[in-house]
This record gives sequence, structure tokens and C-alpha cells, in this order.
Amino acid sequence: MKFKGKSFIAIVLAPEQPFDSWFSELDRIIERSPGFFIDRPIILDVRGSNIPIDDLEQVLNGLGDRSIRVMGIDGISGTRLKDGMPPSFGGGRLTAEVDVPEPDTQVGNPDKGTHKEIATKNRKDASSGETDSAPETNGHSFAKSLDELERETAKQGDSSIVISDHVRSGQSILHPDGDVTVIGSVSSGAEIIAGGSIHIYGALRGRALAGVAGKDSARIFCTKLDAELVSINGLYKVADDFDGTLRNSPAQIRFENETLVFEGLN
Amino acid sequence: MSNATVVVVTSGKGGVGKTTTTAAIASALAKEGYQVCAIDFDVGLRNLDLIMGAERRVVFDLVNVVRGEASIKQALVRDKKLNNLYLLPASQTRDKDALTEEGVEAVISELRGYFDWVICDSPAGIERGATLAMRHADEAIIVSNPEVSSVRDCDRIIGLLDAKTKIAEDGGRMPKHLMITRYDTDRAKTGDMLATDDVVDILSVPLIGVVPESKDVLKASNVGLPVTLSDENSPPAKAYQEATRRLLGENIPVTIPEEKKSLFGKLFKGRAA
Repeated sequence: MKFKGKSFIAIVLAPEQPFDSWFSELDRIIERSPGFFIDRPIILDVRGSNIPIDDLEQVLNGLGDRSIRVMGIDGISGTRLKDGMPPSFGGGRLTAEVDVPEPDTQVGNPDKGTHKEIATKNRKDASSGETDSAPETNGHSFAKSLDELERETAKQGDSSIVISDHVRSGQSILHPDGDVTVIGSVSSGAEIIAGGSIHIYGALRGRALAGVAGKDSARIFCTKLDAELVSINGLYKVADDFDGTLRNSPAQIRFENETLVFEGLN
Repeated sequence: MSNATVVVVTSGKGGVGKTTTTAAIASALAKEGYQVCAIDFDVGLRNLDLIMGAERRVVFDLVNVVRGEASIKQALVRDKKLNNLYLLPASQTRDKDALTEEGVEAVISELRGYFDWVICDSPAGIERGATLAMRHADEAIIVSNPEVSSVRDCDRIIGLLDAKTKIAEDGGRMPKHLMITRYDTDRAKTGDMLATDDVVDILSVPLIGVVPESKDVLKASNVGLPVTLSDENSPPAKAYQEATRRLLGENIPVTIPEEKKSLFGKLFKGRAA
């Protein structure tokens, strides 16, 4: 028998007192983008709050009323939970914040929810704590293994990968933990998705999505810009909206003041 | 016993000229004296037998062989003109699911023993038929028209060649050649068409030949002859002969029809595309 490991990015909700205003904030998000919580793993984070169990029940009921199904509760002992409550959930490593869609600017409101990666295969406890994670947390958080056998310090987010070949139409490179470097072209119909920056030593004709885990400081570099779509931290532009002067020339794209800035590289 | 080079002719998109290219390259190789077998993998929509003028002599087909209902020798159809050129036809009545991976592997490894070159005509698409056709190939000829959708589909196919083939799974890289077909000199001049340089740049695969759009191709398939046999001096035939020499390892520059227009015009007055 084999056990597979799979990691998902879960939305972590940390209820705050008073719950009424917290729920009304939640309602505002749901109203703005009704699909935001659908099909996403959702974890309730009560670590450090020492929440009374009755309050927790009230929060869970409130979420249930909004059709938000909590898959687990982080930061509470399983023995305290009542029957029928989602299980206690350990492990998890903070990543950057999840963007809450804002219809006007497409850019997120960072006050709600942190991203947490749940690695079922290699469970890691976020020792960096519950503080709202800055985008850099991902890169510098220490992770200690729950195995109790060893204490490893893994520098998550510093990993980068190099693809030393063309990325062809229909291929997708997904690397949520760091930078992606491609030595070759990215064809029309191909896509690169990176948690960090994207470097392409060749023509970018497909899609490049950098900083997908909420990293504003991510950039996209390519020696020939002919992309279908570029995105940094959820803010995107399609080819039709590009500045034509940089077409087919070396360029970098960065995130500044809620817009994407295109610059030539010379 | 020789050990053949297996070449898959593929493109992703339909109607670009895979079958024409298969027939032309296979017969050009046969004319050079090699033992050649062309396999039609387009089960359910077979065409290669028509282009090669063998449709009236097909008894058994690839599916029969794969299923063990006939031997390879029973199924091979010898060409009318060249006695070292054979065709393994596709079945018209079955669908692509009738092919199994083990069966195809067995057929190709047996053919490797009989021939110098095995040319596989891939069906369009990226599904089972196409992946089976490329799976055991040693080299690939990517056929593209100079227009964007065809180029993108080729790009997709190249990705599959580097991922789903036996060579790729063993950690190797399949040598690939780019054949640009239906190149229209007039449209190239007016810029209505992608230039060959652009296609090569996008696909990053070395060019093996540029075949001009020509009535000769249509004429040849109507009489059931590969274009390299029907009129050896037609521009497409010349382009295919050139490509074949390059496939054999000769290092000769690729003739872009546009550049040679005046020469073609002189040589083939009234006939050149």
C-alpha cells in the first residue's frame, strides 16, 4: 500500500472578536465574489485565542450558515472539541496571504485570511506563529518537523527551479514555492506559474503568472516579450493591453502601486 | 537483417500534409534504393493507400496485424512502381481503440528487421492514435503550414514527443525535423502568411524542407502516386527530394520557394505554384 502526499493551499480563517463584525466582513467578501470559498480547503485558526468552546460552536454555525465548510481547526486540542465539529488539525506552514478579489482593481484586500500550506506528506509546523505573515514570511520561516525525531530547518520558498528546455504549448510549469527560470522559449499556449519571479531566457509567448502565493515583489523577466498574459500576485494584463513598444524586445514586468509596470531591459 | 530507422510524420492539426509528406518521403527513400515501409496509423480515416495508389490491393490492415489476425507479410502491400516500397494500410472499418500499445510495439519491432526505413503516418490530434504512432519512433518529421494554428498544434506535438515517447521516457531526446508545407509564394510576398523564419523561430526545430503549395500535389494524389513519383521535376517533388537527402544526413541548404521563384519560374513556366 502506498500513501501519496499532496499539498493544497488552504484558506485560513482566524475569527476575531466581536464575531458580528467579523462575520459582516466575511459577508462583504462573499457578496463581492460569491465563489471565493467554494471548493477551497478552509481551516479555522484559533491558535492563541483560547476561544471558549461555545464561542467556537457559534463561529462554526455562523460559517455553516454561509455555506463555508471548515475542514479542520488549527490551534485547539482535539479533546476539547464537541462531537460533530471538524477535527483538530496540526501542521501547516504559513505562506503568503490570499488575495480577496476586489472587483475594481483586481487586487486583494490583505486583511483577511492567511495562506497556509498543508503538507500531508512532510508535515511541518509553522513556528513563525500566528502573526499576519508578510510576503517574505514564506521565504524565511523556519519549519520544524512534527515527527519529533528530528528537527529540521527547511528554508521554504527559497527553492527555485530551472527548466533547461523550451516550454511547449499545452505544458504547464507550476512551482508555487519560488522562482522559475526557463532557458528556452515559452510557447503560445504554455504557462509558467511561480510563487516567486519568472526568468525566461528566450521568447515569452505564452502565459507567465508570478508571485501567485501573494508576493508583490515577484517579477517577470524575458528576453523577448510576446506574451498572451502576464500576472503578478493576481493582477494580470492580456496581450491586447500591453504597451506595444516593448513587443518582441527584452522586458521586465513588476508590480507597483497596484499596477503592472513594463520596462525594457537594456 | 537490417535495423530500420523509424520516422513518425506528425503535426497535430489535420489537413496540413502529413499523408502527402509520408508518401513523398517514403517513395523518395525507396528511389534511393532503401527498403522502405510506410505505415498508416490513421485507423478509421485511412488515406495513405489512396495517395500511394494501393487502395485496390489492400487485404489485411494494421489492426488485423496488431490483433494477430494476419501476419505482417500478409498485410504489407507492395508499391506498383517500386518493388522496395511497402505500405501497411490502416483499417477503415475500425476505430483507433482497436490498436494496443503492445501490438503496435510488436509490429514496429518486427518491421525494423525487414526494412531500412519505417515511416509512420500519424493521425491528426493528440489522442491515442497519434501518441501510438509516435511512441516507438526514432525520429520525427513535424509538418506545419505557415499559419499560426498549425504552428501552435505542432508545438503541442513537440511537447508530447519529448514526453510521451519511448525515447523520452528512457531519458533521450528525439531528433526532430520541421517540414513546412503548403508554402504559398504569393502570400509570403504580401505578408499574409508566417515567414519560414518565424515558424522555425517559434518551434525551434531545424528545418528539413519547405514545400510550396502546388496543384501538382493534388494532381498526384488524384492519380494515386506520391508527388515524388508522379512528376519528379515539379517544385514540391524537388522540395521533398531535397528533404529526403537531408533526412539521410546530407548537409544542404534548404531552398525557400520564395527565393528561387525566378528560377522555378524559368524552369517550370506555367506550372510553378
